[in-house]
Amino acid sequence: MQFSFTPDQHEFANGLREMLTSEFSPAALRTVWDLGAGIDHVLWSRLADMGVLSMMIPLGSGGLGGNFVDTVLLLEELGRAAVPGPIVETITVGALALGETSWAAGIVDGSAGVSAALMGEPYVPHATLAAAILVPGSPAGSVRVLDAASIAIMPANGIDGGRLLGAITTMDAGAPVSLSLAAAVNAGALGTAAYLLGLSSRMLDIAGDYARDRRQFGQPIGAFQAVKHLMADALLKVEFARPAVYRAAWSISVGSPTVDRDVSMAKALASEAAQKATRSALQVHGAIGYTWECDLQLFMKKAWALMPAWGSSQFHRRRVADAVLGAR
Amino acid sequence: MWPPVSRAACFSGRLFLGPPVSRAACYSWRRILWRTMDLTETPDEVAFRAEARAWLKAHVPSDPLPSFDTEEGFELHRQWERTLFEGRWSAVSWPEEYGGRGADYVKWLIFEEEYWRSGAPGRVSQNGIFLLAPTIMEVGTPAQKARFLPAMAASEEIWAQAWSEPDAGSDMASIRSKATLSADGSEWIVNGQKIWASRAVWADWCFGIFRTDPESARHKGLTFILIPLDKPGITVRPIAQLDGDTGFAEIFFDEVRVPVENTLGAVGQGWSVAMATAGFERGVSLRSPARFNVAVERLVELWREIGDPADDTMRDAVTDLWIQAEGYRLHTYMTVTKLLEGGHIGSESSLNKIFWSEMDVRTHELAMQLLGTAGERMDGPFERWVDGFLFSLSGPLYAGTNEIQRNIIADRVLNLPRS
Repeated sequence: MQFSFTPDQHEFANGLREMLTSEFSPAALRTVWDLGAGIDHVLWSRLADMGVLSMMIPLGSGGLGGNFVDTVLLLEELGRAAVPGPIVETITVGALALGETSWAAGIVDGSAGVSAALMGEPYVPHATLAAAILVPGSPAGSVRVLDAASIAIMPANGIDGGRLLGAITTMDAGAPVSLSLAAAVNAGALGTAAYLLGLSSRMLDIAGDYARDRRQFGQPIGAFQAVKHLMADALLKVEFARPAVYRAAWSISVGSPTVDRDVSMAKALASEAAQKATRSALQVHGAIGYTWECDLQLFMKKAWALMPAWGSSQFHRRRVADAVLGAR
Repeated sequence: MWPPVSRAACFSGRLFLGPPVSRAACYSWRRILWRTMDLTETPDEVAFRAEARAWLKAHVPSDPLPSFDTEEGFELHRQWERTLFEGRWSAVSWPEEYGGRGADYVKWLIFEEEYWRSGAPGRVSQNGIFLLAPTIMEVGTPAQKARFLPAMAASEEIWAQAWSEPDAGSDMASIRSKATLSADGSEWIVNGQKIWASRAVWADWCFGIFRTDPESARHKGLTFILIPLDKPGITVRPIAQLDGDTGFAEIFFDEVRVPVENTLGAVGQGWSVAMATAGFERGVSLRSPARFNVAVERLVELWREIGDPADDTMRDAVTDLWIQAEGYRLHTYMTVTKLLEGGHIGSESSLNKIFWSEMDVRTHELAMQLLGTAGERMDGPFERWVDGFLFSLSGPLYAGTNEIQRNIIADRVLNLPRS
């Protein structure tokens, strides 16, 4: 029994955090929003150079040949910075579905992002930015990949400027991939859960900075117990979601028989932690948190978009219920 | 097949700064070198689990013992502790010389899982073995270790805590009970009053902090002292608790003379010694996950027996408790791996305390909701749930209320300004 990461896994994640801290500030994220770009192409190339995009691409396809345990800390760091564009989809479900196809080289060098809409979503996230889009295949339970160049997409406005939406209006048959729909959903859900963990931690950091800085009644508001307890309760949710996310990463990596249950537990807890972190961070900020100019909104809106993505907390709780109590 | 770059090259700089081509090769090099996450048990751990399970199956009393908060129950639990000690299971994580097995934290968790799953009695020795002993091992003298630990492992001496005072509850630093050195410097003379000392009516010893510098205030000038409860000048008065049993007690000290050899840690350093103990209590040692996993398994059984399968609200609520108990188990395994790898747990242990205590209340509240009016009867078939419900309500109060824990988290983990 060893529930920890290797020095390498930590080092890679710490390096990614350093890079994102110095090269991708909230101001850079805001620029992505202002331009309506949905992605930062310079940052994307940087992620390709570092090997982040290719972590789960097999060695034979030019990737790092890692598994989900190698990737989960990176996803957390990407979430901490609210990295825009189809990053979760590309490095999790995209890499697992397309790592041994002709799409792999584009994932590795950063020229091909991957998105997915596998759970009946009316809008495909990052639809206009992805080169490949994963959708349910035929027979049921399979996945196929669409080449974005050969389908028609109608853009739609989403709440998160780092996640452009689009509806597929004309579709072709695409090409089948070997990853099953169940495995694809697990990969996307867990990737999103890990990203939400990082995002939640960041929102608590932002709220903590504000609580130390903002003074009322002659003292920093963080000295008031009402504020302390609000933030402690949010931290509790985040810290108890984290081991569940790490365990699910291991379950996917080893093909555990309880993988569905474990991923669902992780996504349910991470979505709820994000909800709590969002509410607490906004409440700590007061009215300034409700403004467009406050950077908190860039992170909150990402959280609101990702909480229901790949199955809501309620959807995943029901999957846990079926596994633990038996199907209805 | 070895990766096509030298090992030295892979360790010469930070991996992610290297050229992209060698990075993949380096990464596979380094994957060979380090053991990655593995949530399966080693053969050694599997064997340890099997040994514990077999022993417990052969020795756990078939009928539940009366509550250890009663005189009869206390003695029966002490006898059970003797049996555990004879099998060398009373303090598995202690060194062998003091009666333990030198088991690491993972094995300790495995033992706890087997223990609670077997339906074994509660641990009447818990205040000594789980709370005081780690502190003795950390700051005690060799003589103190030899004097106190083996007798504690064997439950020849059962310990009570003596922390709180009538005016020092959440604000524990306002302690007023004092200890003064005798004229020849060989003894502490103790005066004052302690309260909420669980099972002090029947216990043999107590431990707590006392003000030894009368000029001092707050956290300074306090000293950690170990006191036999049969000393002249000690009066122990039972207090009936919410369930009617007299597990609670208050202890009055009137010119009680204790050898200075019973000082644990340095004179005047009692607060930091006590905080070490409190840290263990809030952290992994007092409430290992297994008892909550087992309580939730019983809740699932109860739901299957009497729950309405069409009631989705109740089904979701039961699932939520299962998720929480499993989450606490995972969190604990992650914490002990961190400790085994040389890390420390500090104030984040306050997160644990909030989590398990609120989970335990919720588990029992849900059981009471399932039972409905049947849960009103104290001595019926659901007695264990009713008792457990009342006991669970003490969790958010003892070992530092959950509000105090939230303050600790805010101040020391989130670094918010002190009030």
